[in-house]
Amino acid sequence: MSTGYVFEEKIVEIEWLAQNLNSLAPDIRIIESNEDVLLYDTGHIPGAVHIDWRKDLQDPIIRDYISAEKFAELCSRNGITPHTTCIFYGDKSNWWACYALWAFELFDHKKSKILNGGRDKWIKLGLPLTKEKPSFERTHYPVPSKRMDEDIRIFYNGVLDFLKAKGPLIDVRSPGEYSGELLHMPEYPQEGVLRGGHIPGAKSVPWKTAVKEDGTFKSIAELRDIYEKQAGLDPEKETVVYCRIGERSSHTWFVLKYLLGHKNVKNYDGSWTEWGNKVGAPIER
Amino acid sequence: MEELPKALKDIISTFEVLGEEERREMLIAYSEAAPQFSPKEGESYVLTDVRKDEECTDTVGVYLISDEEGKVNFRIHLGPHVQTLTKAMTSILCQGLSGSLPEQIVNIPSTFISKIVGGELFRVRSQTVYYVLGRMKSACKQLINKKTIENGQVH
Repeated sequence: MSTGYVFEEKIVEIEWLAQNLNSLAPDIRIIESNEDVLLYDTGHIPGAVHIDWRKDLQDPIIRDYISAEKFAELCSRNGITPHTTCIFYGDKSNWWACYALWAFELFDHKKSKILNGGRDKWIKLGLPLTKEKPSFERTHYPVPSKRMDEDIRIFYNGVLDFLKAKGPLIDVRSPGEYSGELLHMPEYPQEGVLRGGHIPGAKSVPWKTAVKEDGTFKSIAELRDIYEKQAGLDPEKETVVYCRIGERSSHTWFVLKYLLGHKNVKNYDGSWTEWGNKVGAPIER
Repeated sequence: MEELPKALKDIISTFEVLGEEERREMLIAYSEAAPQFSPKEGESYVLTDVRKDEECTDTVGVYLISDEEGKVNFRIHLGPHVQTLTKAMTSILCQGLSGSLPEQIVNIPSTFISKIVGGELFRVRSQTVYYVLGRMKSACKQLINKKTIENGQVH
C-alpha cells in the first residue's frame, strides 16, 4: 500500500525487514546509529553494523565531519560500496539514524533508507537482537571527489544572510529550548551554551511533531498540515532547519526533503551550540 | 585510592588493565547485572529517594538498607530509558559501595570514575557518568541528616 510520501522508497517498514532479514541482497547494509554509545553492543538487529555518530562521522580535532578519505575508509571496512543501499536505524525515534543518513549524503551516498520506527519499535515487536558483530568482506569505496556541503548544509554566515532575507527557519528543539528557558533538551544536563533563545524569525516546530507514539512517521496528510499549512513552508523554496547540534534537525530535514519532497532543505548543524555562543550573533526570546 | 572501599578498589583495578574493547564488554556485563540491584519485595528501607531530574533520561529511584552498625546497601530502580552507561555505573557502585558507612560514601571523590569508564567514553558522556554516584551521595546525606535530627530529638 502506498504511503503517499513523495520519496516513499526512502522508508523501510520493520515488518518487511523482519520478513526478509535472512534473505537480504548482498548490496543492502543495515546500519545502527544511536545516542546511547553502548547500546549497539547490548544487542542489535542481526547483520547490522554500527556507526558511531561521534567517533566515526565527526573529525576529532576540528568541529566538522570526517574527510572524504575517512568516509571511504569507514564504508570500505563495513563492506559498503557506492551501490550499497544503507538502511539506517537507531534509538530516539531515529534521530541519529537520520543524522548518519544526512552525513552519508554529504559524501553523495544517496542509496539510503530509514527503518520506520527504529530500534524501539523493533524491540517492542519482540523481534530478535544479537550481540554478534557481523563481518563483511572489505570493499574499496572510492574517495568522494568532494563533500556536498553546499547542497544540504548551511553555515553561520549563510544563516545570517538567510534570516536577513527573511527565509523560513525552523527550530526543531523543544519549546523550552526555543523560549530560552532551557539550554538543552529536557532531561539532559543543561550545559554547552551560554545563552538561551532562538535565531530571530525562526518558527518552533519540534521534531517530535513528525512522529507517532511508536516512533514511526506520521502520515503524509498530517505532515503536510504541520509543515506546510501550520508552519507555512513552501516546498519550492529554501528552508533551513536547526536544533542544538544538528541531530534532531537531521530528522526534520529527512521529513521535509524525502517524505514531503521539499526541493531545497538545509541543515544548520552548527545549530544552537554555535549560534548561542557566537559573539555578536543576534538572538530572540 | 586509600579513601575508597576495598570492593570498589578491586573493580577499578580490574577496569584499569582493560583495553577499550574489553572495557566496553565489561561495562555491558555490569549494565546487564543492574536489575539484580532493584528493590525487592519484603525489604524495608531507611530512606527512599525516587525522582527524575535533568541529569538523567528517565526516573531513578535510590533505596537504602541499613544494618545495625549503620552500614548501608543500595537498591536502585532504573526507568526503561536510562542509558547503558548509567546502568553499568549503577551496578558497579551498588557492588563497590555495599557495606560502607554513609559518612564514608559522601566523602568519596568522584575522580575514580574516569578510570572505570575510560577516556573515550568519559569525553562523550562526561556529565552522565557522575549521575548515579551523585544520587547515592545525596541519599546518604539525607540519611545522615535524618539520623542527626532523630538523635537530637532523643537527647
